[in-house]
Amino acid sequence: MAQSPSLRLAAAAGLAAGALVLAGCSGSAAPTEPAGSPDADATLNVGLVLEPTNLDIRHTSGAALEQALIENVYEGLVARAEDGGVEPALASEWQVSDDGRVYTFTLQDGVTFHDGSDFTADDVVASLDETRSDDSTIGYADLQVIESVTATDDATVEVTLTEANQNFLFTLTGPAGVILDSDDDTDLATSANGTGPFSLASWNQGDSVTLERNDAYWGESAGVQEVVLSYIPEATALVGAGLDGSLDVLTGVESDLAPQLEGMFEVTEGETTDKFILAFNEQAEPLDDIRVREALRLAIDHDAILERVGAGEKLFGPIPPLDPGYEDLEGTVSYDPERARELLDEAGASDLTLTMTVSNTYPTYFSTLLVSMFDDIGITLEVEPVEFSTWLNDVYANRDYELSFVNHVEPRDFVSWTNPDYYYALADDDAFAEVQSLYAEAMRETDPEASAGLLAEAARVVADQHPADWLFTRSDVVAIAPGVENFPVASTSTRLDVADVTVTR
Amino acid sequence: MLRYAATRILFLALGLLVASALIFWALRILPGDVAQMIAGTEGTPAQVERIRADLGLDRPLAVQYAEWIGGVFTGDLGTSMLTGASVAAQLAAKAQVTIPLGAFSLLIALAFALPLGVVSAVRHRSRTGAAIGVVSQLLAAVPVVWAGLMLVVLFAVVLGWLPAQGFPRTGWQNPADAIRALILPSITIGIVEGAMLMRFVRSATLQALGEDFVRTGAAKGLTRTQSLVRHGLPAVGLSVITVLGIQIAGIIVGAVVIEQVFTLPGIGRMLVTDVGARDLTMVQGELLVLTGFVLVTGFVVDLAHHAIDPRQREHR
Amino acid sequence: MSALARLWRIPLGRSALIVVAVIAATALVSLFWTPFDPRRADAYSAWAPPGWPHLLGTDGTGRDILSLIMAGARITVTVAIGAGLVATVIGVALAALGALTARPVRESVAVFVDILIAFPVLLIAMMIAAVWGGSLWVVIWSVGVGYGVNIARVARIELRRVNRADFVLAAQASGLTRSQILTRHLLPNAAPVFIVQLSWSMAAAVLAEAGLSYLGFGAPVTQPSWGLLLSEVQDYITVHPTSVLWPGIAITLTVLALNLLGDALREATDPTLSRGRRAQTHTPEVIA
Repeated sequence: MAQSPSLRLAAAAGLAAGALVLAGCSGSAAPTEPAGSPDADATLNVGLVLEPTNLDIRHTSGAALEQALIENVYEGLVARAEDGGVEPALASEWQVSDDGRVYTFTLQDGVTFHDGSDFTADDVVASLDETRSDDSTIGYADLQVIESVTATDDATVEVTLTEANQNFLFTLTGPAGVILDSDDDTDLATSANGTGPFSLASWNQGDSVTLERNDAYWGESAGVQEVVLSYIPEATALVGAGLDGSLDVLTGVESDLAPQLEGMFEVTEGETTDKFILAFNEQAEPLDDIRVREALRLAIDHDAILERVGAGEKLFGPIPPLDPGYEDLEGTVSYDPERARELLDEAGASDLTLTMTVSNTYPTYFSTLLVSMFDDIGITLEVEPVEFSTWLNDVYANRDYELSFVNHVEPRDFVSWTNPDYYYALADDDAFAEVQSLYAEAMRETDPEASAGLLAEAARVVADQHPADWLFTRSDVVAIAPGVENFPVASTSTRLDVADVTVTR
Repeated sequence: MLRYAATRILFLALGLLVASALIFWALRILPGDVAQMIAGTEGTPAQVERIRADLGLDRPLAVQYAEWIGGVFTGDLGTSMLTGASVAAQLAAKAQVTIPLGAFSLLIALAFALPLGVVSAVRHRSRTGAAIGVVSQLLAAVPVVWAGLMLVVLFAVVLGWLPAQGFPRTGWQNPADAIRALILPSITIGIVEGAMLMRFVRSATLQALGEDFVRTGAAKGLTRTQSLVRHGLPAVGLSVITVLGIQIAGIIVGAVVIEQVFTLPGIGRMLVTDVGARDLTMVQGELLVLTGFVLVTGFVVDLAHHAIDPRQREHR
Repeated sequence: MSALARLWRIPLGRSALIVVAVIAATALVSLFWTPFDPRRADAYSAWAPPGWPHLLGTDGTGRDILSLIMAGARITVTVAIGAGLVATVIGVALAALGALTARPVRESVAVFVDILIAFPVLLIAMMIAAVWGGSLWVVIWSVGVGYGVNIARVARIELRRVNRADFVLAAQASGLTRSQILTRHLLPNAAPVFIVQLSWSMAAAVLAEAGLSYLGFGAPVTQPSWGLLLSEVQDYITVHPTSVLWPGIAITLTVLALNLLGDALREATDPTLSRGRRAQTHTPEVIA
């Protein structure tokens, strides 16, 4: 039966309208946003799980400190974008010479430190020179590629490298590039004098770090007056604090508990460069046999692990998706316990007992799952949970371990595979040499795409050696209350740039 | 009395000295390196050495011990190796949670144990007495961890009346919230400790019931209840004081576990974390304070006991 | 009639003995058979409710809870026996020293015991664990020492009491040495007291193991200690509240049985107790 066009149009419109209404009323978890405009004097309460041990940005490493202070309180010439790239900060623009060796940075003007002193090119020179000459500062090794730093005028700094380095700009987004006032005597362990959109108001150790808006900031003013970073390491307590209204944003939420927050919060999952690595000590028998190592990897059911973890993706090589050089290496290893047993028999290593050293900051289900999976191929896994400090001492510093389970959060840390003293360094000299040379070439390469290609090749060489199993790369579960805008959702374990956040109550 | 007090003071001093020495020397054999932990995963050996020198870890042990003990007398327990915060200040801050927790627990334990203990003794042949006896046996067998978790399941998860974990970040600024956070933890410790105390009160009351002075009271024409109240209860009270020292030790121990269950930022939880983090100065200070508290309590209880009832020659 | 027969006559004693025997038997059986391999994890069957085939359900990694509880009994039994033995040996040794030696030695032993008693066992355990890492040995030794000194105090009184009995005086008169008197007369006659204390210290050991394993200073992660199971499910009680039931029930039942057994043993081995005194039950030292 023919219908007049207008009727059909009306019907279609009616259906569409109905669909829209239904979608708006859907019982799904999206909470309603408050109406109104952002409150410029609001306090933003953020819940996090890992607290910095010390505020000294020059001598304490660890993601927790960078997460809290870099880009919020301290700034460098450049900053990290959420997708892993580089964007301007204290340098409004920069030029790189064709041979990749000379970087000319044009500095922002009107920048002052929190104590009122002016920011000049001399401060940049002093900071970079200090870091690259004092071997006790974080970032010392990264800046050895610098040949000289000079202030060509008050607003321009020229950095000359000994050779082109693809990662140099990225390095400046980290603690190596933080610019401090050159004649400052602030005690870095307990206070901070930076140039960022927030100043450090207080550190209530064991509880929280409070940031206050810097009204003299050179750039766009921060969206909120105060940010309280509350450190709640227990998963249930963190969710509890969210549910009772004392937190506006929660990061690092445990997947099992995330459903409790839906309805009250918008729950997101963001990519990070967190790499959960089960490292094999190639210097310890029988792990020196590549067949044994491959067998261990074949025994691991990555899908089952992700089933338990919740938020994350499988990872089969040392470079995660957010870093340059990422390639999906899923084809290099599969879940095949039978083949694993065959390899172990071949290597004469059936019925092994191996010990896994794991920091007790991770949930115990990893150990339980691995114990069960290795039981299937005849390997008895002993688990030794240690404090992180003991892990650092035994595994990291002294390489005294058989298997190690840890999360490496740093972006672009492939360079660790070129360090012969690193706790998981390749034992095969040829492979190691190849990785080193490919990496060096990648760094010298001025074309980013070509560089990434070389990195990918190096990653493949590493993966083929089976020095470790990359269990997965974690996605950070971030829960955001309605009315909170512009909160970062990716790379949140290493950076938490809260300057653009606004709160509408 | 004075001689007794002097002896006990000597014991106390000796105990504290032995405790401090044991704690200090034991902790210095720790594996793991605080300096390495501060330097972190990116730390180079040079950085680690610098930190170690800064913290004074490279000096002889005896020197470090002497310095620590000297500091104790001036109230300076040193600074945390990891954060530089003052140990004494941290202890004072965390005590804000642990001391009220302990106090509430003790009150609940007494309120629970005294009446029930006496009643169950007086009626030990009846069903009430037997029932109370059974319940107390059951409660005394419950691990304090589980008691806490079960109460959380009941009151926080199922009923939603009380917070499952945590203590308000603003501390005691909002007393109502702070007390709300301490209710479940104190009840947990109070009931488990109270169950043990109750059985002691029951024993003591039963003993009193069989004693001469109750019969004397009966001869004087007092009812059993009246003679019990006038003559027996003071004796029961004395016995309770005897065991109070042990009870308080038990509450401290319970607090260490319960603060973990309810994630309360108290001394106990700080101790567990610091032991793991190898923060030697913090752990030293915490263990010394906790052990010292137990020793001092024992000392006070001994004196009180002796003062109230000089007939007791056998200590405890 | 023998003490055991007397024990059997007491209703609570009978029940307690049966429960303890069942737990010990479970521990033994679990060495050979459990419904599932307690180590077998299956991420896709996590948090299953009680039913078939997992009678008590599964935990967060899909392990069968009934099998875990059965295997956990092994650890409980090991710690209870280990700590109980250590405590008794230390207690008897210290008591013997204290009761039978010359005055100066006796006094210093008494002082030593008095100082040690004040140290809460949990703190001792944490200190040892801080140095050598947590393990079941830490639990066994700290409970053993902590409870041992308690037993020493009780035992010293008992030994002195027996020391004054007629047959001992007779033995002394006939020229037996002190140590001979100790081994032939004192210890055997004081044995009932030791056995009662043994039962109570085993109960305390089970509680201590639960607490210490929960805190991370006891059983290793790969072994299914009941206390450890409690710490593993704690993070999830807001979404899986029933998971805390089973390990807790197991611990409480075991401790209750051992305590009641001690009480009943006391009644059975000392029939001279007055009715009033018999109603007095043991107040255990606080461990955790």
